[in-house]
Amino acid sequence: MVGMRAPLLFGASILIALAAWQFLSSFVFNPFLIPPPLVVLQTAIPMVKSGEIFRHVAISMARVGVGFFTGCAAAIVLGVVLGRVKLVNELLDPVIELLRYLSPTAMIPIAVIWFGIGETSKYFLIFWGTFFIVLINTTAGVMRAPIIRQRAAACLGASPLQIFLLVVIPSAAPYIVTGMRIAMASSFMSIIPAEILAADSGIGFLLQNSSILLQTNRIFVALLTICVLGFAFDRLFRIAVDRMLSRYMSYIALT
Amino acid sequence: MRNVKKIFGTDAQRYVALDGIDLEVASGEFVCLLGPSGCGKSTLLNILAGFDQPSEGAVEFEGAPVRGAGKDRVMFFQDAGSALLPWLSAEENVRFALRVRKLPREEWPAIIDKYLVMVDLKDHRHKFPAQLSGGMRQRLQIARALAVEPKVLLMDEPFAALDALTRRRMHGFLLDIWKRTGKTIVFVTHDIAEAVTLADRICVMSVGPGSRITEVVDVGLPRPRDLTDPQAAALFRRVEGSLTW
Repeated sequence: MVGMRAPLLFGASILIALAAWQFLSSFVFNPFLIPPPLVVLQTAIPMVKSGEIFRHVAISMARVGVGFFTGCAAAIVLGVVLGRVKLVNELLDPVIELLRYLSPTAMIPIAVIWFGIGETSKYFLIFWGTFFIVLINTTAGVMRAPIIRQRAAACLGASPLQIFLLVVIPSAAPYIVTGMRIAMASSFMSIIPAEILAADSGIGFLLQNSSILLQTNRIFVALLTICVLGFAFDRLFRIAVDRMLSRYMSYIALT
Repeated sequence: MRNVKKIFGTDAQRYVALDGIDLEVASGEFVCLLGPSGCGKSTLLNILAGFDQPSEGAVEFEGAPVRGAGKDRVMFFQDAGSALLPWLSAEENVRFALRVRKLPREEWPAIIDKYLVMVDLKDHRHKFPAQLSGGMRQRLQIARALAVEPKVLLMDEPFAALDALTRRRMHGFLLDIWKRTGKTIVFVTHDIAEAVTLADRICVMSVGPGSRITEVVDVGLPRPRDLTDPQAAALFRRVEGSLTW
């Protein structure tokens, strides 16, 4: 029974929220402005049946996926270099510190001019948002690999390459993974404005299109979809990390 | 080592940490460097390990100048939790040492067994460092160090973070290993009792800046030593008297 407590409370939390929502939109607010959950569900069913919602989801997820993974790959490579080579860090850090304040949303107008409203501009925007978050975390992780740990390995006869691959990178892994997790959440947030402003498909487009047509119930379907997707992907990411990297992650709380 | 000086900083803000350290350590000898905090003990040990270069003077090992860290002189840290690889189990930490030592894989299991038995960690071989107690982590660090068969163990206040009882057990343990393996040990401490318990020779260092070895005390008492024994107590007082701070 102990193990059931958390999922039961989770379910209770959702049910109470839905009940409150149903009550408020039926009796307090205008149900057109805040459609009650049952209306949203009625709207969602045909969208699910026709596959419309899945098409938008798939397109948005593909954009997030491409931008996120390329962004992570580039950021990890550069972050490792920045963490290890002091001169490169000193030369690039000021630029990075300035550029990272340009959120993906701020980059939408120029991205549309550079890449049009096709897929490339969305890949770029997600890449942009992911890159700086993962970069800063990777650099920090590599720089904070304990000097004692590296020296101890050097004493045992480890070569610089071995110290780098077997000591520094694993020491940085928790930072890198944390950065990726934050970047993933940020990607889910930045894909929406990108699609609202510059797309003809995806969840953001669904939001924008429904808004123009004053279809509040469809807007709510799209909003709920974003909630569920973000939550589900974060859980999946955590499970994957637990499966593959637990030995690198678990000690962080203990040392 | 001859006339080792270490100067930090630039001309405007120079700090002379070590000002002419001369010391020769014989093979198989157990030497304690004793001094208060900030006397440059750890700086000196880092130079011996090859992590750091002396500003002046020279450090030689078996007739050749020391250049960089190497597995003939293994450093042993107080913070075993940081020195060990926390994502590897006890056994894997020892295996890591064998891997970087480039021994043939077939020999690994026997060597891992040998050293884990020696440090009495055989029953804990699958535990991770975070699951081990402080004393066990230090023993694991010893096992990992011995696995590369160094000639010298450089120990930087290795037991300072342990409780008094565990520290006493570790002393007996270290002496036992030292007797069995015949390693040369340079042991840094600020604890007079620890130095008197362990060392063949105690080098008392003065407090920095410009720290140097002010006195070398030959202990010459049989082990195991009883600190309440009059001879040991007299030695303790002599060392205490030579400390400055």
